[in-house]
Amino acid sequence: MDSRVRELREAQGWSQGELAERLAVSRQTVNAIETGKYDPSLPLAFRIARLFVQPIESIFHPADH
Amino acid sequence: MPRPARYYALSGALLLIAALGMRTLPGVSGFVVRVLIALALCLLLAGLVKAVRSDACDDATPALRRRYLREFLPPMVGYVVAVFLSVWLLKRVEVPVLRALIALLPVPAIALAMRAIVRRIRDADELQRRIELEAVSVAAGCVSLGYLSAGFLQLAKVIDVAASDAMIWVFPLTCIVFGVAKAALGRRYS
Repeated sequence: MDSRVRELREAQGWSQGELAERLAVSRQTVNAIETGKYDPSLPLAFRIARLFVQPIESIFHPADH
Repeated sequence: MPRPARYYALSGALLLIAALGMRTLPGVSGFVVRVLIALALCLLLAGLVKAVRSDACDDATPALRRRYLREFLPPMVGYVVAVFLSVWLLKRVEVPVLRALIALLPVPAIALAMRAIVRRIRDADELQRRIELEAVSVAAGCVSLGYLSAGFLQLAKVIDVAASDAMIWVFPLTCIVFGVAKAALGRRYS
């Protein structure tokens, strides 16, 4: 799954560690989501969407390949 | 080399030297020496993992990491002390019931350490829980398979390992394989 998490995080000027703290997850988890190596669970995806005040489908979308 | 890796490696090397030095002293139990060597190898392994992956400790939130260290380290120190005390007392006590109680002295400390590990896994975030559970599965599988294979070899009289040695090494081996598996599995998500 592709995501705009990195783009949204950088727009806020947050580091991966800061975003991890806001989401109560580890920095490695944020990095894995940003690089597409891990698809978050629905509850975590909703937390991310709520944090960035965006609809969930505008942040996460199926990978092209 | 990152500073934490240096600390782990240095303390592991010092403990290993101390353990090997103790082997030459008269009256020192071989069991105590083996326990210290196992701890030293774990510290050296931790140093190696930190040297290869400096972000290896980013796998938990700082609060969880602090709680884990607070809950894990004191029991491990208590375990080492209890092992020394137990070995010392066993040389002086002959009553079977008391000997059983003394022999089991290190067990509560290990139980507390296991509780800390379980609480860390339970409270980790979803990705970390997945990595930890995969690593636990790999460790349980590898150690079980190793012991089953060794059991067959022992049955065929190809090897001859003392039962007490084999039993004592179950937990340290599981921890070591878990650590290696976790580092390897974690790389998939880095």
